[in-house]
Amino acid sequence: MASDYLLELDDIEAGYGRAALVLRGLTVKVPAGSVVCLVGPNGAGKSTVLKVASGMLAPRSGTIRVCGDDVTGFGPQQMLTAGLSHVLQGHSVFREMTVEENVLLGAYTIRDRAAIAERVGFVKELFPVVGDRWKALAGALSGGEQKQVEFARSLMVSPRVVLLDEPSMGLDPRATASVFEQVIRMRDAGTAVLLVEQNARRALETADLGCVLDLGRVHIDGPASELLKDPQLAELYLGGRPAAAPPAS
Amino acid sequence: MPSASDRTRGSGLTTALKIVGILALAAAVLSFPSFAANPFILSVGVVIMSYAVLATGWNFVGGFTGYMSLGHAAYSGLGGYATALLIIESGINPWLALVLGALLTAVIAVPVGIASLRVRGASFVIVSIAFVLILQLVFQSWGEFTGGSNGLRVPRPFGPDVLRPEQHERFFYLHAAVLAIALLTWWLIDRSRFGIGLKAIREDEDKAQALGIPTFNYKLVAFVVSAFFTAVGGGLYALWFGFLDPIFQFSILIGSYMVLMSLLGGIRSLFGPMLGALVVGYSVEFFKNEYGDTQFHLVATGLLLGLVVLFMPDGVLPALAALLRRFRPQESSIREVTQAELAEQRNSDPITQGAKR
Repeated sequence: MASDYLLELDDIEAGYGRAALVLRGLTVKVPAGSVVCLVGPNGAGKSTVLKVASGMLAPRSGTIRVCGDDVTGFGPQQMLTAGLSHVLQGHSVFREMTVEENVLLGAYTIRDRAAIAERVGFVKELFPVVGDRWKALAGALSGGEQKQVEFARSLMVSPRVVLLDEPSMGLDPRATASVFEQVIRMRDAGTAVLLVEQNARRALETADLGCVLDLGRVHIDGPASELLKDPQLAELYLGGRPAAAPPAS
Repeated sequence: MPSASDRTRGSGLTTALKIVGILALAAAVLSFPSFAANPFILSVGVVIMSYAVLATGWNFVGGFTGYMSLGHAAYSGLGGYATALLIIESGINPWLALVLGALLTAVIAVPVGIASLRVRGASFVIVSIAFVLILQLVFQSWGEFTGGSNGLRVPRPFGPDVLRPEQHERFFYLHAAVLAIALLTWWLIDRSRFGIGLKAIREDEDKAQALGIPTFNYKLVAFVVSAFFTAVGGGLYALWFGFLDPIFQFSILIGSYMVLMSLLGGIRSLFGPMLGALVVGYSVEFFKNEYGDTQFHLVATGLLLGLVVLFMPDGVLPALAALLRRFRPQESSIREVTQAELAEQRNSDPITQGAKR
């Protein structure tokens, strides 16, 4: 059954252990060819959404669909095969392995060598740093370069949707700018992106659609450009009004 | 553009050097019995080889997955007892008993692995110790079958006409052969897809899982292979030494030695545990000889472990490799940038552009 959305999280409830629910009836949909950004305060459940989508955390209720197919209850490996690739928070390259090994680990579920080689060519073109530093130890790369290696690794399985958890974390402004540029390039290369960011304003400037999360639910969603203009949202979540003059002191 | 800091692996020259090095090492090991001055020295050689087999066996799980088992004496002990009891109870050929005993131990390791590999870090260490202590109690109490605290005499595989020195020599070569098989297996795994998966688990298990590596099954296979080689080492030792006592076979100390040797040599290197066995095995025998029956050799061994952890956390081999690299031309990841390039960057940079706005 075809669907307009690549990924649909429908009425998801999820939590950790016996603790209270983190997600309480959350619905998020990722259309093809788009960057969807989740913003919200700490503890809103942003990272948990990605964990549920990548099969690392099973939802208590609700359904997950990829291209209309029900994938609820899938584990990490099955989700990967279904087309969801997760880039974890923080620096997640294998530091003691080479860039090559890191990227090839991304293709761990693929057996076809020719397909892997073709994909390697694709990610090297999309992320030039990866090709330049192919034989270097990943730990020796700068934070921004490591992110590109992670992106390349996540694209090895030709995912439908890449789940990015705080890609700008711990990066300087220039590397952050570059990371958001890479996100756009991924989208333009045909992979939709579900993005979680602390750097909310910056992320919404990059994204096509935005969802503001609060207390485990979607508070408001819509085109990212409109969310940026909403004065109430700006006040609550984006740290000040969009065109606000600096407060008089 | 390949940058200067790229560390390429295995160019032609280093491969040739490696082969020469391995041949020299093999020659040195194999010629040892003819240089050994007396049977005692030869017997120390056998002990060290035995440690090398055990440590290399341990390293299949410790080195590849980073799971530090302090209780691997369980598998060397089980291998020893299984070999001995198979010979005594069923009268089969001792070498067949050795292989069957190790296979049996590997089978026992499956449920133990399934139970213990669910926990990580310190919890795994404690679970691994628990199993060896349980075995010690069982083998002590089950006197009619295992000989209990009186110990178990292991039938000699060679006839009475083979004298002690020759026996030592034969066992030295047998251990060397088992060690070679273990090292070859380790090397093959190290280069395989399976090996890359294991190393990913060692660095970060969650990440490895997120990439679709079946982490639990991989850990379990490594664990069982490790138990198998450790059991072969234990069985061979039993056949050589000829006597088993639960207190010594299932002791935390033997397991700790395996960890110490591997850490000292370097758990990420093929020959690390073997080198560690040489250093630790020799020191232990030396201290025992020097200080007799006192427990001082334990203190000395403890000091050694402390020094290794403090100054060479990755082991001797990686520390040596790092030292060698210092004498090579300076590697640098800093690209030289001209003033003109800087100016151009500044003009096209979205950040500084934004600041101007």
